[in-house]
Amino acid sequence: MVDRKEIEHLGDLVKVELKEPEKYIKQVEQILNYFDSLDKVDFHSDDILRTEVAAENLRDDVHEPCGDSLIEHLKKDQNNFIRAPKMV
Amino acid sequence: MNLGISATEFVSQAKEGALSVEEFVAKTLDRIKKIDEKIHAFITVDSQNALDKAKAIDKKIKSKEKTGICFGIPISLKDNICTAGLKTTCASKMLESFVAPYDATVTSRLKSEDAIIIGKVNLDEFAMGSTTEFSYFGPTKNPWNPEYVPGGSSGGSGASVAALECLASLGSDTGGSVRSPASFCSVVGLKPTYGLISRYGLVSYANSIEQIGPVAKTVEDVAFLLNIISGHDVHDNTTVNHGHVDYVKDIKAGVSGKKIGIISQMIGDGIDKEVASATTSAISKLQDLGAECVPVSLDAVNHSVAAYYTIASAEASSNLSRYDNLRYGFDFSTEGYEFKAFISKARSNFGPEVTRRMLLGAFVLSAGYYGKYYLKAQKVRTMIKAQLDEAFKKVDYLISPTMPILPFKVGEKIDDPLKLYLTDINTVTANLSGIPAISVPFSMSSSGLPIGIQLFANSFQEKELLQAAHALQETSKLPEMSL
Repeated sequence: MVDRKEIEHLGDLVKVELKEPEKYIKQVEQILNYFDSLDKVDFHSDDILRTEVAAENLRDDVHEPCGDSLIEHLKKDQNNFIRAPKMV
Repeated sequence: MNLGISATEFVSQAKEGALSVEEFVAKTLDRIKKIDEKIHAFITVDSQNALDKAKAIDKKIKSKEKTGICFGIPISLKDNICTAGLKTTCASKMLESFVAPYDATVTSRLKSEDAIIIGKVNLDEFAMGSTTEFSYFGPTKNPWNPEYVPGGSSGGSGASVAALECLASLGSDTGGSVRSPASFCSVVGLKPTYGLISRYGLVSYANSIEQIGPVAKTVEDVAFLLNIISGHDVHDNTTVNHGHVDYVKDIKAGVSGKKIGIISQMIGDGIDKEVASATTSAISKLQDLGAECVPVSLDAVNHSVAAYYTIASAEASSNLSRYDNLRYGFDFSTEGYEFKAFISKARSNFGPEVTRRMLLGAFVLSAGYYGKYYLKAQKVRTMIKAQLDEAFKKVDYLISPTMPILPFKVGEKIDDPLKLYLTDINTVTANLSGIPAISVPFSMSSSGLPIGIQLFANSFQEKELLQAAHALQETSKLPEMSL
């Protein structure tokens, strides 16, 4: 059973202030009920698909300086600083 | 000048100097100006740059300088594929003003072959949706009948190609997002094998299942684009070094002697009658061409939608946690806000479908539910792959309708997310398993709405898949766009 408290808790987890939490209650519950059909699956194996990437195929861990284009379009003030809210 | 030609035809004419690229591009831009207010396929049109590029390409052709193999094909890109200097909004308020500092690998590969990026096209916000109605910039309409949805989430890609606003497009396919609009708009759309095309510069939604895919008028055009954009990329460790394959060569090889499995779970209950009869007709046409068609049962498909939405939502909630509206986004001052309050307030501007999926994702990953949902979904995924491996020991291809239903009216299902999710029943299997699948336009319903047929092949068998798709394409003559 999904209630307003649960939806608000989930909103808190994903850091979204929900404008109309009640709008999501029924829909999320209905979709989770549908997901419950996974309980009926008769699994013959506990295997999970995994993709392996060999370490030698990873790129070298070297510093690549970023160009000016990276900061060109940022939201920033005239001193090129990004303004963040206070940490309390 | 006929804007309805294929990209392949365009290249052959441009190469011979039989066509002015500038004139073609100018005419395409005129068409966008004239009809896009009805269709709303585009978010951004890069007119001046497109015309400048076209002029430069004409000059190269005239002076017999080496020209890239696209010879100025006007291409649209789904607006979640990064383009340096041109906005990439993901159809979201959260990225309303985002300009990527770099090109996605697919973008740079197209540009290096002298393709012209004519603009960026609409999608469901962050590619989450099946109808392109969940765009912050408003819905895209189906060019065959603007009262109907074009499919999604790459609805702008499907609609722009169908409406002759470009010759080809790139979309992204996480659960059917290239194939659904291809089917609903009567164009060809391919979801390639996971790892065939670099995702570098594709804004992430569900990394383990999504792939960029070409959308075009013909199967040859899709093969042509695949030749350019596929292949290993150092920037994406999930790309596979599969060696050089020419997807265009031998595309007319046909299906004689091939075995095709008809997926029982995708043609049963819940299928529209006209879609079912089109599928039967497609099967019989492939049989006439010498293919043997046999029923194949994949019972894990019955659980694919639940598994897909569990996994996709989980990955979405994790991927989208990066959007804090600090480095880019919309104008909203941080003044007077504490950190979390600011971020939560800014993030309340995500649209309803994205928010819903983040909530679902947080739920299925949370302590106590991880084993019940996420782990089981991953096991279903393994089960689907195992059943497909078995099937491909017996058959060369699998077939189904791309979409179980005909295009429906804009707004019809928007308030019922589960109903919308269930329309993905035939497409998510390819994403969960990683195998390639293509939608080929096959017929029109009695009400004039397109029906597409889907073919699947085993991983990295795109060449064979395109051969079968080409054979199927040649069996039907479809009406021309009248808009």
